[in-house]
Formats: sequence, structure tokens, C-alpha cells
Amino acid sequence: MTTLMDRPASASGEASSKRPLIERLNIFTALGLGAVSAIVVWQLALKYLPQNADTAFFFNREDKISLLSLIAWFVGFMVGIGALIGPFRWLMGKDLSHEENMFLAGKDQGVKRYFRYTTDHKVVGIQYVVITIIIFFVAGVLAMLIRTNLGKAGGGWIQPQTYNAIVGWHGIMMIVATIIMVTGPFGNFIMPIMIGARDMAFPRLNALSFWLIVAAIPPVFISFFTGGITTGWTAYNPLASQAGLGMNGYIAFICIFAISTMVSGANITTTVVKMRAKGMTWNRTPIFIYGVVASVALALPAFPVFFLSQIMSGLDRAFATSFYNSAAGGSGWLYENLFWIMGHPEVYVILIPAVAALMEMAPVFTRRPLFSFNLAILGIAGISGLSILVWAHHMYISGWAPLLNAPFMLTTELISIPTGMLFLVLVGTLWRGRVWMTMPLMSIYALLWNFMIGGITGIYLSDVPADSFLHGSMYVTAHFHYTLMGAGLTGALASLVYWFPKMTGRMFDTRLSWISFWLVQIGFNVAFIGMFMVGLAGQPRRVEAYAEIFSRGNMVTTMGAYTIMAGMLVLLHGVISSWRSGVPAPMNPWQAKTLEWTVPNPIPLENFAVLPVVTSDPYGYGKVQQ
Amino acid sequence: MSVETHTGANPHHEHPDVVGSRNRLGVILLLVADVAMALSVLFVYFYLRQQNVNNMWLPLATADTPAVHPISTRGTWIVTALAALGLLSHFYGLKGARAKAQSQLTLGATFAMAFSAAALVYQFSQIGNAPFTTTSGAYASTYFLIAGLNTLHLVLTLFISIGNWNRSRLGLYVSDHWHVDIVNIWWIWMTVSSALGAFALSFT
Repeated sequence: MTTLMDRPASASGEASSKRPLIERLNIFTALGLGAVSAIVVWQLALKYLPQNADTAFFFNREDKISLLSLIAWFVGFMVGIGALIGPFRWLMGKDLSHEENMFLAGKDQGVKRYFRYTTDHKVVGIQYVVITIIIFFVAGVLAMLIRTNLGKAGGGWIQPQTYNAIVGWHGIMMIVATIIMVTGPFGNFIMPIMIGARDMAFPRLNALSFWLIVAAIPPVFISFFTGGITTGWTAYNPLASQAGLGMNGYIAFICIFAISTMVSGANITTTVVKMRAKGMTWNRTPIFIYGVVASVALALPAFPVFFLSQIMSGLDRAFATSFYNSAAGGSGWLYENLFWIMGHPEVYVILIPAVAALMEMAPVFTRRPLFSFNLAILGIAGISGLSILVWAHHMYISGWAPLLNAPFMLTTELISIPTGMLFLVLVGTLWRGRVWMTMPLMSIYALLWNFMIGGITGIYLSDVPADSFLHGSMYVTAHFHYTLMGAGLTGALASLVYWFPKMTGRMFDTRLSWISFWLVQIGFNVAFIGMFMVGLAGQPRRVEAYAEIFSRGNMVTTMGAYTIMAGMLVLLHGVISSWRSGVPAPMNPWQAKTLEWTVPNPIPLENFAVLPVVTSDPYGYGKVQQ
Repeated sequence: MSVETHTGANPHHEHPDVVGSRNRLGVILLLVADVAMALSVLFVYFYLRQQNVNNMWLPLATADTPAVHPISTRGTWIVTALAALGLLSHFYGLKGARAKAQSQLTLGATFAMAFSAAALVYQFSQIGNAPFTTTSGAYASTYFLIAGLNTLHLVLTLFISIGNWNRSRLGLYVSDHWHVDIVNIWWIWMTVSSALGAFALSFT
């Protein structure tokens, strides 16, 4: 394998025409190699896979071909982006040289580094910002299709099966986007600087976690044109085993994404544990870091379970195994258990970093220390611990182990105690603070309002008798939107505006941030309070047509949804215009005390010229510094 | 947050122990994910075995298909034994690395690689010679799942063992041996995971 070290010292024309492999790989080689691999394997499978491979169930032969092609896509893409160079160089005993590592870090490459397997955490953070916006945009368009279709009673203009596919696609893309929306952009860009590190613990794994997500997206896009995800985002089995070929795209998407999450979890946790600046003891570590670590630490054991559930789903489809097929000894409850063992911690994987980010901002904009730092940590730890003990509250009326309903009801309701601690920390910090009214600060109030509604409505769903009535209704949809969007996305958008100056070197347009905030928050509450109304009245979720009695509530919800869309478009415009021509940002526009605000704009490749030594906590507002 | 600056050691040249410690934690955390998956596989096995839905854990004979009988666990324990021998060989090599005995390190790495290859070949033959197919009910499905996970582990082990052997041969572990330490953690987990699979399969 040619390396940078093999290149002649003189930069002759010959040398530049034969660039080393490591310099030639980028997103285009990845897309090309991935597509070629998929097409070749597809053709080979079509030719050589026996026609009589349909041994038992539905689409065995087609499923084998489809899954093999998706695996080939994945392998081709990862080879094409250069993800395997490091492991094979290790195997050959030819470790990457300093120059090659500098190349991988994106040194002196300008905008090209964003299209390569670049290891610099700041580049990865920006890549995450862009991919998150893209996923949100697509999933948001799908949400608008859903709401437009539900604008009038009796069924809209979308066919029922297509409607189901849109709902499934919207659901899974939004879930993935919300999982990565804080830990991806800000966990990668901000977190290492905030703890005083030069980079992540494993820069190549960092790049890997991002490019795995890029590799995961085409399969889920393709799924839409091969029958779609008609099962909803939960992809319950045996329904999923019997669905069309689009489910294979879902399976590939989840498996690749799960690997990304595991890699990212190990990387972020190691970085925080091992690379904090000298003097940054655990009680001087910013609360945002706790939120990010709790999130990825929860994901680390949870996502392998999800991964396995999808592997078994793929095996049931392609090889007619019987994990979920009860006619052959399998069980649908098995899938439900595996899914929700991941699925409920995943809610807190989304929520905790978003709330922690707002707790990070609260002292900055009130000029007060964080109210009870220890209580905040206790709350995060309590939520994390309890979240792995609540999964079966999603299965109360599935018939699985009714005797366990009461214990799961108890654990679910207990989780409101640590959640209340986080509320107390935020309210306590705001109390009598000298409030600097910015969009991030206002987002804290919005979170308190939205999360309160999301939390209280969740208590009814955790209660078995109430859940028996509410389960499967629009009430549930409204409830989880209040938590994931009303709390989670609110925290993420505040984070974007707060850290935008450090990430781009420019201030976010204040006027646009306010317009966007109010449109999104008003639209959101209108939309989902309307949805609560129709849910309480009995409108089922995941159904494209409804009775006339629900039409008023649905009209309100659709109007709210369009208002959210307007707010999101204003925000998108704000991101683009501020990034291109916003006011240049000073080093520390918010006069905050965490370490990321001590580095200049633009941030040097290695963040700190000399490593900092921390001598006090990050929330010493109003105190005389020693 | 008050900060001071210091001009400590050159950040580009961290002490190997620092790098090793960081890498060790990273590998252990990745193993947490793998452990979660392996335990989930065992959960699947015992759950379906306990449920025995429609008496299809081990389907009885029908007019078209013969009865499914559980596979002897002798083969799965042999794979585990080969993995354990690989672990012991690697540990022997690691002791050599710690004692700066290059030839012992290379010898241990060579045997570890050979045992991982042998275990992989034997695992493949076990899967290929199974007396049932993927469509033969829940026991057969979970058998292939456990065997598949073990195969995946063995493929990774072979890759790591080849690298470890090659790097030992090239003398790359003369100055520090944290790579070898970390590979040892993998070998331990891989052997334990193989043993757990074999243990589970002994409950039919």
C-alpha cells in the first residue's frame, strides 16, 4: 500500500498525478464503490441464487438478494471512504505516520476535509450538523405530508399503504436524527474542547461513527421505493417479516446505525474519562459532559440488543428461521422485549444531553451558579438507572406477562422523581437570576413547559388502566412528541444557537433565532394539544382516515404543523445566512466560563497551544475567583 | 472556570502507558456492547426454549420432515477448547513481551494464530454438518444464531491474531506491549463467550 511516506520529497508533476491511496479516497469514491459493489452482488445473486430458494415463506429469494446487495453496498462504501486503511495498516505492521495522521486530521485541506474520512473532531462535529439537518429536513417533509393528508376527515390523497410507509419512514428518521442531534454535533465539536483535550480519544473511530451514518442512509431511502417501512418505526414482528422488500432497507439502516452508536459511545466515554484537563475533577466537569456521557453510556449496551433484533428479523425474512414466527416456534413477544429494552433507554439517550445542554446554558444567561450541581448529577444518574427497568410499559396490553404490569408501572412512575430533580435544578438556577433574555435562555422556559406536559401525560400512560384506553391512540403520539420534540429538540436548537459562534466563527442572527423560536414553540403547542384532544376522544394513530368528529382537532394540528414548518424554514435560513455572512463572533460572546470559550476563532487544529489546567468549577458566576 | 496553562510534555509524544491505558478502556467499552449482544443471544435461546411455542422448539416428525434432534455439544466445546488454547498461547506470548523475550512473544502469537484458525475451521465444519437447516424450528434457529456469533468472534480473532503475530515478528512490541495486553482482553472475552454459547447449547 502506498503511503504519504513513500512519496518523493520533490513535489513533481509525476508525484501529484500518482497520489497515495489515502489521499484519493473521499465521499465520491465511497459512493461509487458502494454502488458498484451493490450492483455486482445484486447481479451475481440474481444469476446464481437458485430459483427454488423460496423454501417456506414470503420473499426469501428476493430478500436474500436484497440483503446481500445492501451488505455489499455497506462494505464497498466503507472501503471507498478509507475506513479500513487503519486496521489493515495495523495488520501489516505499518502504522500510520505522523504526516498521514495530519492528513487524516484534515490539515491544510480547506473544504475538502468535510468530504473525506477526516479525524479532526471539529470537522466531524460540523459533518454531524449537516447530516442532522438533512435528516430532519427529509423527515420534516414527510411529517408535512402526513399532516396534510390528515387535514380532512375520511382519508386524504395518499393511499393507505403509502401513508403507512411515510409514517414508518418519518418515525425512524426522526428517531435517528434526535438521537444524534446533540451528541453528534456538540458532543463531537464542543465536548473535547470543553474538557481541555486536543481531540477525541480515538479520532479514527470518531470519523467511522459519522461515515457509518452516511452509509446507513441510502438503504433507508431505497426502502421507500421497494415497498417502504409499512410497519411503523417499531417494525414489530412477525409483521415485519411479512412486509415487503422495503423492510430490508430498514434492517440494514438500523444495523449500521447501531454500530455507529456503539463506536461513538465507547469513544466519547473514553475521551471524558481519560482526557479531561489537569485539575478538571469530576465536580469541576461541566454538566453537559455528564449528559453526553450518560446518553452514550445508556446507548452502549442498549443498541446491540436492537442490532440483534434486526439481525434476527433479517434471518427470518431471508433464511426462514423462526425467531418471531410462532407457527415455527418463534414469538412476537421476543421481538417486543428486545425492541423496548433498547427503545425506552433510547428516549433518555435523546433527552438527557438536550436537558444537560440547557443546564449548561442556564448559569451563563442568569449569571448564577448552577443550582445544586450534585442534584443534577443525581437526576441524570437516576433517570439513566431507572430507564433500563421500564421497557415493558410499552407492552401492558400486548398480553405478555400481565403479572409484571404492576412492577413496571412502579418503575415507570418512579422515573418522575429524578426527572423532577432536573426541573428543580433548572428552576433553581433561573430563580432570581439576572436573566439575559436570549433564544437559548427562552428555550429553558420552553423546555420546562413542554417537558412538564410531556411528563405529566406520560404518567397516565404508565398507569395500566389509563393506558388500556389510551394505548394506540393519537394521545400517545402527542405525548412522545412533547418529550422528544418539545424537550429534546428545543434543547438541541438552543445548543445550535448557543455554540454557533464557536463552531462557525459567526454569531447566529438574533432576529431570526427569535422568529424561529416563537413560530416553532407556538406551532408545536397548537399542533400537539390538538392531537391530545383527538387522542383523548379516541382517534387511533397510524391510520390515514378518521371520522368526522375528529376533524376540528386535526385541522388545528395541521395548522400548528405548518407553523412549525415555517419556523424551521426560518431557522434553516438563519443557519445558512449567518454561516455565510453573519457578524464575526468574538472569542467569548456569552462571557461563559467553560473551556471552549477560551480558544480563539477559528479554533486551531489542536485546540490548545498549551493544555489548560483547571483551578475552579465552571459555574463560578458571582463569586470572587481565587 | 479558572484556568492556568502549563507547558508539559510534547502532546504529540504521549507516554505509551497513557496511550495504552486509553486504548484499554476503549476496548473494554466496546466489549460492553459485545457482551450485551452475546447476553441477548443467550436470552433469545432460553426464552424460546422456555416458551416452546406450538411445541416447535424441537419439532416432531411429520409426513414431510423428520424430527429435529438437538446437536451434540461435543463440537461446540471443542471450539471453545481451541479458543482456550489460543488464549493460553497468547498469554504465554504476553508474558514474553513483558519479560522482553521477543522469541517467546512471537512463538505465543504464532500458536494463538494457529489455534484461532483451527477453531474457525472447526466452527465452519460444525455449521456445515448440522443435521438440520434454518427452517427446522426454534432450536435450529437459535443454534445457528449462537454458532454465527461465535464465527464472527473467531473471524475477528483470526484477523487480530494475524496482526499480532505479524507485529511481533517485525519487532514492533519491543519498546512497549500495550497492544498485546489489549489483545489478551479480547481473547479472554472471546473464550468466555464461546464457553457461554456451548454451555447454553447443553440445555436442550
